[in-house]
Amino acid sequence: MFTSLFLFDLTFWLYLAAVGLYIGYVALGRTRVQVAGAGTGNISTSDYSAPVGQLATMITFVGVFVNTLALGTRAYERYQLTGTFAPWSNQFEAMAFVAWSIIVGYLILEFKYGIKAIGAFVVSIGFIAMGAASLLPYRYQTAEPLVPALNSYWIYIHVSVTLTSYAAFAMAGGLGVMYLLKERAELNGNTSSLTSAFPSLETIDELGYKAITIGFPLLAFGIILGAMWANYAWGGYWSWDPKETWSLIVWLIYGAYIHARMTRGWGGHRAAIYAIFGFLMVIFCFWGVNFLLSGLHAYA
Amino acid sequence: MANSIAEEPLSKKSSELPGWSRFNWAGLPGKVVDTLSSLRLAISLFIALAILSTIGTIIQQGETPEFYIKEYGEPMYGWFQTFGFTDVYAQTWFRAVLGLLIVNSLTCFYKRFPGIWRSMRQSNIAVPPTFIEGLKQHVEVPLKSDSGKVAEEMIDILGGRGYRVSASRAKDNISVFATKGIMGRVGAHVAHVSAAIIVLGGLIGSVAGFRDFGIGLPGETYYIPQGDFSLKVEKFWMDYYENGAIKSYNSTLTVVDKGQEKFTKTISVNDPLVYNDIWLYQSSYGDHWDKVDKARVMITEKGSENVVGDVMLDWGEPLRVPDIDLGLRVTGFAADFAFDSETKQVSSKTSEHKNPAVQITITEVDKTFNPWFFVDFPGIIDIPDSSYAFEIVGYLPSKYTGLQMGHNPGITIVWTGCLLIVVGMSLSSFVFHRRLWVNIQKDGDNSKLYIGGNTHKGQIDFSREFATLTDRIRHIG
Repeated sequence: MFTSLFLFDLTFWLYLAAVGLYIGYVALGRTRVQVAGAGTGNISTSDYSAPVGQLATMITFVGVFVNTLALGTRAYERYQLTGTFAPWSNQFEAMAFVAWSIIVGYLILEFKYGIKAIGAFVVSIGFIAMGAASLLPYRYQTAEPLVPALNSYWIYIHVSVTLTSYAAFAMAGGLGVMYLLKERAELNGNTSSLTSAFPSLETIDELGYKAITIGFPLLAFGIILGAMWANYAWGGYWSWDPKETWSLIVWLIYGAYIHARMTRGWGGHRAAIYAIFGFLMVIFCFWGVNFLLSGLHAYA
Repeated sequence: MANSIAEEPLSKKSSELPGWSRFNWAGLPGKVVDTLSSLRLAISLFIALAILSTIGTIIQQGETPEFYIKEYGEPMYGWFQTFGFTDVYAQTWFRAVLGLLIVNSLTCFYKRFPGIWRSMRQSNIAVPPTFIEGLKQHVEVPLKSDSGKVAEEMIDILGGRGYRVSASRAKDNISVFATKGIMGRVGAHVAHVSAAIIVLGGLIGSVAGFRDFGIGLPGETYYIPQGDFSLKVEKFWMDYYENGAIKSYNSTLTVVDKGQEKFTKTISVNDPLVYNDIWLYQSSYGDHWDKVDKARVMITEKGSENVVGDVMLDWGEPLRVPDIDLGLRVTGFAADFAFDSETKQVSSKTSEHKNPAVQITITEVDKTFNPWFFVDFPGIIDIPDSSYAFEIVGYLPSKYTGLQMGHNPGITIVWTGCLLIVVGMSLSSFVFHRRLWVNIQKDGDNSKLYIGGNTHKGQIDFSREFATLTDRIRHIG
């Protein structure tokens, strides 16, 4: 137990360092307009942003590696204690797994598109997820044996798929914030602000859209797997319990987003706000339902 | 007067016609289809359904009136009843919104799919350079190769990257058209139809299916009328983890069909039994209300107050207390003791162990007594003719199994719809329809290429793909 808890702790600090470095990268990347004697402006960026950015990526890699070790160790510990080995079997583990998914997803994004500025917005959410997990009381963090209803192979697929969809929506939410900040800077004509290191609005918007288009079918699949599980456990694939209903609500919200993107007037700005709102709903579905609403599904 | 109303000419200007005749009735079906298939309707319905669903998560569903009155007060409960907030998902207005969403998705399919289907089959191969220059991604590439050779290599390159390529030759130019990922456009339509399939399956299930719950006492056989077979509950037991938490609870059931024992299966949570399309689930368990497995009795000698015996009795099994001439046997139990003074019968008021009482048949020397002792009230029952006082120290309740039973004829349809919707959504999210047009102009022994393309989704990725392709193309010849 203590090995995995230690590793989860270490992950938290590494993600914190990564976030700091990405923010540093963005801060150092702001363009500065230097006015030369003859009145012409030379635009330059600080020399340190590139190495800071590279360090940020490296620390993120180390962090996600430790996160993987932590989840793997927890899986092993669980197996020794209880005979099951899904390292997302309680609220704490699920949060740690979501953090892991967000960071993995982010690293794939950074590898594919090379835009480190996004790290400040997405790795921070992964960090917050890991932080929130760490803040849970100790009794929530330990691996307890599963109650009979959860004791099934379904936990390996239903929970992991759904949590991965949450990670995708988290990324979209972070990108939404990034979009709004850049948009505001552009509207104010601020060329030397922090946002100058950001990619274009179009790019941020499209990447956010892409994240949602990945999360949306994943969530559908996760909900369906949950329905299949319910059919084996409770004798009915849909019983409108708060968790089931809220995951459907989140799905409907993103369904509206997908359709809205095809109509005029729902690009960039509105889409960014919507993505943030959708992510808040995801947080409620993931966290709020377990603690605030009662029902069959309250497995904190 | 030249014109009276009776003599007005038959033809009039449209603005002079009354309002309802100006309406284009012939266009009405088209307009209805347009509205019903519109994106805006879809968006509104998604949001509406989401908001309405929220109500059922904030207000607990299916509770007793007492619960609501206690939580919200009587006037609020009255409003809940009027609007049906205590059973939101079964209300007509909720189902109407859901139904409208399905109509919306099917009308979209009806309206837009034929066009997609048609465009999948035909393709505009030959386009003028002006069309290509109008595309978002376009470039002009001069090459020092003969146009025929260029076309051949082009087809190779594009085919190698997974495109379906077609070409047509004109007098002074060759047109090449490449397309990839048309299934991405089909994805949304598959998803729309699948949603309807899922709802249809759900409807069939709720109309033609059933769900029921029953208690099974070990040793008993129960007839299941819906399936025309009987179920014998052989055994029920619970397993525990080392720390005392419940690991599983299991029932061994035998299916008896027309007097013949068909098979026996042990079910537990997540592992149901199926027979004749009826599913039996291990749902819960409980403490029996008129039977116990064991009872522990403490026997005290009256007068001296010495404890002369502390015995564990098994249900119905006689036991002789060592050293004294006393025989005990548990013959009755009531979890919530109730006594009918007319019939002189003891029974359990409820299934809950609120006032448990154990009946012991006592054989003392040559006397027999059949008193009931109250577990929570030791000492109030005294047998005057006996030399001993008895106290029920504790008891081990017999467990019964809680079985959920169900039949869902629509479930295969639901799962089919679910599979299709995931396929459709994945196609829509991960497969993008990309098209490339190349116009190879003859320029003596050289060629001048106009290359352009578009994608219906994923602009960034496509622009990179386009750049890679044009790079390869520049190196032809």
